[in-house]
Amino acid sequence: MNKEGSLTRRAFIAGTAALGAAAAVAGTASQTLVAYAADDKKTGATSSNATEIKHEWCQMCGPARTHCSTLCHIKDGRWTHVEGNPKAGNNYGRGSKTLCAKGNAAMSVLYAPDRILYPMKRTGAKGEGKFERTTWDEALDSIAKKLKEQKDQYGAKSYGVLSPQFYAVLGTMGRRFLNVHGSPNYLHSAICNSQRMFSRLVTLGGPNHMGANGTDPGQLAKTKLAVNWGYNSENSAINQGNPTARLDAMEKGMKTIDIRPMQDAMASKADMWVPVRPGTDCALAMAALNIIIQDDLYDHDFVANWCHGFDQLAEHMKPYTAEWASEHTGVPASQITEMAHMMGTIKPMGIYIGNGIGDQQNDGHWTVACASLIEAITGNLGIAGGGSASMVPPKPLIKTNSIDILTDRLPKTEEDEKNGYMAGVSDLVGPETPRWFQTMKTQESGPTTAYFKGINSILTGEPYPLRCIFGQSSNPLSATRQPKKVEEALKKLDFYVVMDTQWNSSCDYADYVLPAATNYETSHQFGTKNSPAGTFIAINQGIQEPMGESRSDWQYYLDLAQKMGYGDDFWNGDMDACLREQLDGSGIDLDELRAANDGIFVERTDGAKATEPAYQDYAKMFEALPHGKVQCYNEWIGNKPNCDDTGTISPLPVYNGPAESVAGTPEIAKDYPLVFSDVHAYRLCNHSYYVDVPYLRELQPYPWVKMNPATAEKYGIKDGDWVKVESPHGWVKLVARTMEGIAPDVLMSRRGWWQKCDELDLPGYGHGDGGSEVNVLYDSDPAHFDPFNSAMSKQTLVKISKTEEAK
Amino acid sequence: MGKQYGFYADTSRCIKCWACEVACKQWNGIEPGTIARRKVHEVDSGKFPDTHRTFVSMSCMHCEKPACKEVCPTGAISKREEDGIVTVDKDKCIGCHYCFFACPFGVPEYTDAGMDKCDACLGNGVKIDEGEMPHCVATCPTKALHFGPMDELRKMQSEKVAKEVVSGSSKPSFVAS
Repeated sequence: MNKEGSLTRRAFIAGTAALGAAAAVAGTASQTLVAYAADDKKTGATSSNATEIKHEWCQMCGPARTHCSTLCHIKDGRWTHVEGNPKAGNNYGRGSKTLCAKGNAAMSVLYAPDRILYPMKRTGAKGEGKFERTTWDEALDSIAKKLKEQKDQYGAKSYGVLSPQFYAVLGTMGRRFLNVHGSPNYLHSAICNSQRMFSRLVTLGGPNHMGANGTDPGQLAKTKLAVNWGYNSENSAINQGNPTARLDAMEKGMKTIDIRPMQDAMASKADMWVPVRPGTDCALAMAALNIIIQDDLYDHDFVANWCHGFDQLAEHMKPYTAEWASEHTGVPASQITEMAHMMGTIKPMGIYIGNGIGDQQNDGHWTVACASLIEAITGNLGIAGGGSASMVPPKPLIKTNSIDILTDRLPKTEEDEKNGYMAGVSDLVGPETPRWFQTMKTQESGPTTAYFKGINSILTGEPYPLRCIFGQSSNPLSATRQPKKVEEALKKLDFYVVMDTQWNSSCDYADYVLPAATNYETSHQFGTKNSPAGTFIAINQGIQEPMGESRSDWQYYLDLAQKMGYGDDFWNGDMDACLREQLDGSGIDLDELRAANDGIFVERTDGAKATEPAYQDYAKMFEALPHGKVQCYNEWIGNKPNCDDTGTISPLPVYNGPAESVAGTPEIAKDYPLVFSDVHAYRLCNHSYYVDVPYLRELQPYPWVKMNPATAEKYGIKDGDWVKVESPHGWVKLVARTMEGIAPDVLMSRRGWWQKCDELDLPGYGHGDGGSEVNVLYDSDPAHFDPFNSAMSKQTLVKISKTEEAK
Repeated sequence: MGKQYGFYADTSRCIKCWACEVACKQWNGIEPGTIARRKVHEVDSGKFPDTHRTFVSMSCMHCEKPACKEVCPTGAISKREEDGIVTVDKDKCIGCHYCFFACPFGVPEYTDAGMDKCDACLGNGVKIDEGEMPHCVATCPTKALHFGPMDELRKMQSEKVAKEVVSGSSKPSFVAS
């Protein structure tokens, strides 16, 4: 097959020489003629005539997503092509037919050779992989029986569900089931936008966590400086408007600073790239905040009127100089100062705060809080082109109802009453945020346990062990840190049920594995898009009947509810009734919606346009904050118990650093000299899924680790060599890929890789030592987690050496 | 002859997302693991931290004077009168690879069916004469890749910092900025 990165000789020479980079590639332009595997199938063009077209919401950013509306071309019953629906308003608006690489490869998800087709019941030992086929009836009866028994014996709280990324099925049906059953244990990833929202909420305020005041540019056309801090939309949200909008603004002169360890595509176009060592952004943010204060680049009026505890903050930050941060971050002090000066002087300025800094490092809270404070004290909040202050779109012309999650059904325990907690909070097995913090304002969808902490309870028994876990579209051996510990927990767990389209690596430890239909086989989910032009609504029409005995993820909950005796609360098994309830009053009929092959667009005819927001409406913006002011000294969370009740949270910024780091743990760095991390989202996968998709896998066939060419040379490694990467916690095998856009002491990788790809004869890789799942390298001691939001380190120190190919 | 059509790749907007490559494959029925009519090339320059990455999406250049056509012994390669798109008749192709050695850009690739390269999606039914875009262009999420008459593309390019990515006696119908 065509190896990753191989170019034909002449295209390579022509392209590189002409771009003025011939010198950079001298010596590598040998006559690398690529040998293509002979293929016995004719690769002729196919005709797009005489095809049936159906509407589907793209599944490639995860099941139960409705970001990109697609038109699927079906020929002789087989789905052959896909394109963006120009009617919907994807990406840059109406007329856009764009999709990302994943979206263009979506057909493979439906036709994957490894689809699970039947309910399976474990017959061997956990992890042995011995299963036999069973029926849905038997499986659901057994699951219901177990849940009832466990509820009687250990209480309903002994049941928990894994939440991967935001997953509409789980967020609605799953939460409703938890509430009716009586468990608060929604095992939220702690790797999520929520982490950042919590931190912004307690620092900058907002009506609730979803509505927390933001720092990202609300009106890009008016922004003069956009700071991209650990934000990765050219990988995670390519077709959702942001990269295009930013490129448009950059063409009109907007300056950008990009703070990320690798020079990703947008970083390569930035005015300043700040190659921060992974996991040390908090040090960088604290120094930038300090410099802006010390060099008097803040808005005195705003600070005097709308900041609480500014003087305490100013005093507290003094030791955190550019030189101090440089030690930790690897960024030269002069660049840190220049960066801070740009942020303090170019106005309007907005900061994109990404997953990379909010929830992918154990100092997540203070990193986000410091970035938020920079945005605030520079007077950039609530101004046109600054943070928040987006244009207000006219109201949707189609108004649908969300699924009621029956919050009031979750029992309020005596403990909850005594402590004044929201119902269920006392019973959480491992609170994601402090128990006292979890209220209907801060977590309106209900209480949450952190994913890893929930799993860890099985091993520790503290405060009690979860007895049943349901994993839907989530592979816990790749979704959180330290798969060796997760595997141990799954072995010990009483009852583990998985529902997935494919046999993820955790299925071997399950008691039951249930076959999920893709969204392309059912018609159970719709979505809307609103814009000044009008409102679009469409449903997944279903390209074909579900394969084998696979069922919709939505239907699973309805069917299980019937068996549990909860049928009355779950439309008595009728998913169409649930859909009709959601459409009630919208003016859209379910049958009409299902018949619309490119969705329904209701045009705005009243001439309403997006309107300007209320600017600098600070009294309202900060209403929910103590003293009605930005929390420079945090009275909301400061000096109050942390999530584990093992101490209190500081009211002022604190830098801890990753569990292992160059400047923080020099004794470990002696033996493990390189910093290691991995990208949270990547444009060829959805978290750890879709490594089996041939069109995506051929672009990157092997698990990779990016390193600077100088680093590779130092260790006798060449681009394409297999490398052993070893941390104090475990070791993996990865393929070296060299690039200059990464610091010589930093390595970056991509997690997952458990899926094989039959079409290309490429293997999947294991999750333990010697495999390729990089989560095995990281620390997972809960004592090191972020004390406010449970974010875990995703950075460690490693040593590397050349090795043999992984099998 | 009508207007010469071609491609314009705006490197200031390309983010190497590979959407064009995968769209090309799915619409043209290219088997995974075989060939690629379109590829996003990357060029790194400089040394850390003063380094820069540039991405450019390239395919057949649909040259005004296609060298591949000149050398084809069976007349399998044609240049269309109406739009200058260079196409291959696979039934006539004998797989001799002459075109590969003649092409200044190493474009032709081969499958069991014969020489394979970009035909601006004419073969899968895109009506470029009615203003439809080849799928690589239609799918580009960042508006980095464009298709149309070369005079119009050169005008778009002139508003950017032009980069001469390819040139030569075959007169490629491709520009970049």
